[in-house]
Amino acid sequence: MGKQILTTCAYCGAGCQLYLNVEDGKIVSSTPANGRTNEGNLCLKGHYGWDFLNDPQILTKRLTKPQIRKNGVLEEVEWDEAISYTAERLSEIKAKYGPDAIMGTGSARGPGNEANFVMQKFMRAAIGTNNVDHCARV
Amino acid sequence: MSMGIPEIENAKLLFIFGYNGADSHPIVARRIIKAKQKGAKLIVVDPRITESARIADMHLQLKGGSNMALVQAIGNVIINEGLADQKFIENHTNGYEEYKEFVKKYTPEYAEPICHVPAEQIREAARAYAKAETSMILYGMGVCQFAQAVDVVKGLASLALLTGNFGGPNMGIGPVRGQNNVQGACDMGALPNCYSGYQSVTDDAVREKFEKAWGVKLSNKVGIPLTHVPHRVLEEKDEKKKIHAYYIFGEDPAQSDPDLNEIRETLDKLDFVVMQDIFMNKTGLHADVILPSTAWGEHDGIYSACDRGFQRIRKAIEPKGDVKTDWEIISLISTAMGYPMHYNNTKEIWDEMRSLTPSFHGATYEKLEALGSIQWPCRDESMEDKGTPYLFTGGKFSHPDGRGKFFATEWRPPCEVESPEYPYTLSTVREVGHYSVRTMTGNCRALANLEDEPGWIQMSPEDCGKLNVKEGELIRVFSRRGSLMTRVLPTERVKPGATYMTYQWWVGACNELTTPYLDPVSNTPESKYCAINLEKIDDQAWAEQCIKDSYESIRKKMGIDTAKKEV
Repeated sequence: MGKQILTTCAYCGAGCQLYLNVEDGKIVSSTPANGRTNEGNLCLKGHYGWDFLNDPQILTKRLTKPQIRKNGVLEEVEWDEAISYTAERLSEIKAKYGPDAIMGTGSARGPGNEANFVMQKFMRAAIGTNNVDHCARV
Repeated sequence: MSMGIPEIENAKLLFIFGYNGADSHPIVARRIIKAKQKGAKLIVVDPRITESARIADMHLQLKGGSNMALVQAIGNVIINEGLADQKFIENHTNGYEEYKEFVKKYTPEYAEPICHVPAEQIREAARAYAKAETSMILYGMGVCQFAQAVDVVKGLASLALLTGNFGGPNMGIGPVRGQNNVQGACDMGALPNCYSGYQSVTDDAVREKFEKAWGVKLSNKVGIPLTHVPHRVLEEKDEKKKIHAYYIFGEDPAQSDPDLNEIRETLDKLDFVVMQDIFMNKTGLHADVILPSTAWGEHDGIYSACDRGFQRIRKAIEPKGDVKTDWEIISLISTAMGYPMHYNNTKEIWDEMRSLTPSFHGATYEKLEALGSIQWPCRDESMEDKGTPYLFTGGKFSHPDGRGKFFATEWRPPCEVESPEYPYTLSTVREVGHYSVRTMTGNCRALANLEDEPGWIQMSPEDCGKLNVKEGELIRVFSRRGSLMTRVLPTERVKPGATYMTYQWWVGACNELTTPYLDPVSNTPESKYCAINLEKIDDQAWAEQCIKDSYESIRKKMGIDTAKKEV
């Protein structure tokens, strides 16, 4: 038997509520829910816009492993290496040029509010700069 | 938005300015149609005949880049014809006399040659807007993506102040924001000047509160906006002001930002670029580190809808591959840098945010579970506080004295206008089937089939005739910054001289052409206006092959086996 998960659509700012219908760990369809803004309606992105999670590899590939550029080429690495390398390089740049030499972005798309809160906290508290912004402007 | 989305259908008049709901937000557009069915008057201001314009009572088909002149001409008529709400102005606003004086010269006759809208039509629109029982303004990127953008927003708000269209239901002013969580990223303080809940980084008391909670000294210097990054990398002479590292999270500036040539140069010049995302993208091709994260559907959290509505997202499936949630990745890097951050789930993060943010304090996970959606401000944790459907109740505004402020200023033409060499204008727009840079929709089978590379350029039939091009033919488009090939789409919806392209295509990437000029306050680029030229391509077979080769080469770079997957 499948399950139905109530969530908010990942596309525009209308905030439509929908159910993702899951079978064997895969999303197979979506059903409109009776949300405050959508009242049981969805547009075509709400109806069909979940398929990227199945990674059909039409345009681009889902990223499944951290990568570091070594000698000009991106190579897959383990998380430990990716995290410590990133932290080292950022610390180096901070030590050499100061915290304001680093810029970070938030994301207006999938990650959600909590991830944005953590990102701005990281930039402000760990890096020490207010250089954080996102594509609201673009 | 000062109002909620459901209120749209109950307004007596909708004044839709530079906002194409049918393509950008179909489910919001549905409320516009419902409003019309319920008897509302519709006035649409847009250089194109949008779907809303087709059902409008009045369509002011202005020339792109003339918004400020039109908005002030409407203010001029409202004042001159005695239609202003004097009582509201007296009780709830400041700066009326200066506003009145300033817009004096913006008569409809003065605006007509700037806007290419007949003076009499401007008068009729102003009268209808002022006389309706409740008038609601909806605006979109047709206002915001100009170098004169914030002025127009304030100008539109001034029209609502002038007519008392604030403080009650079914009125006000609504920026219908594009992305699912652009409101949320702002709410959470992913902005250079404020923490969560729009608390200023320059306010000592606020900063001390965050310093105490986070146990660290914080900078009181406002950060730099995203759109200044190219300048700070390529042109900044002062080493101390240069940007050396860029941590890009859930964005693709190498596709979405204006003047892509400049962006690529910026990414290559930076000492260190981190890209954290769900799919490989154009920015990733320039990154030093790629951090793969979970996608929507694979993690929990909260989004903010464009009408300030907090709503839950929930994990539906287990992610495939060795990926982590965004907040876990960031916390790990922070910890490795000597500032330990650790959370077990999104609720812990949300609770920390609430404890530091008075206007969101009452929006608990428990309450969201019970109510489904909460529009901020929501200050109190008790179930009594269900949030705030519309702002400025009873005409009380957020300025310290509680009064709304009028604003007027001179209209400025766009930064790059037509010339003999570049006689056409280009504006970037949206289409309904694809979203943003199509990271997600381009990888959904049903949606990818709707439209594909290289995309289209919307042109008037007159211009198509002049250039001797027909529908579907490939055409060369070029500006001072770049050039590309795309397909001709003749349409009666656009005026001669003006062209439109959507911005998700790789081969027909219209941001190769756009200008990096910014609004001085919002730092939003002028994506809605630049000068271009068009050139017929005689050898269509060669052009088709170029498109095919270029598409295949980009997909190969993205790691797609193109031999197996036909273009």
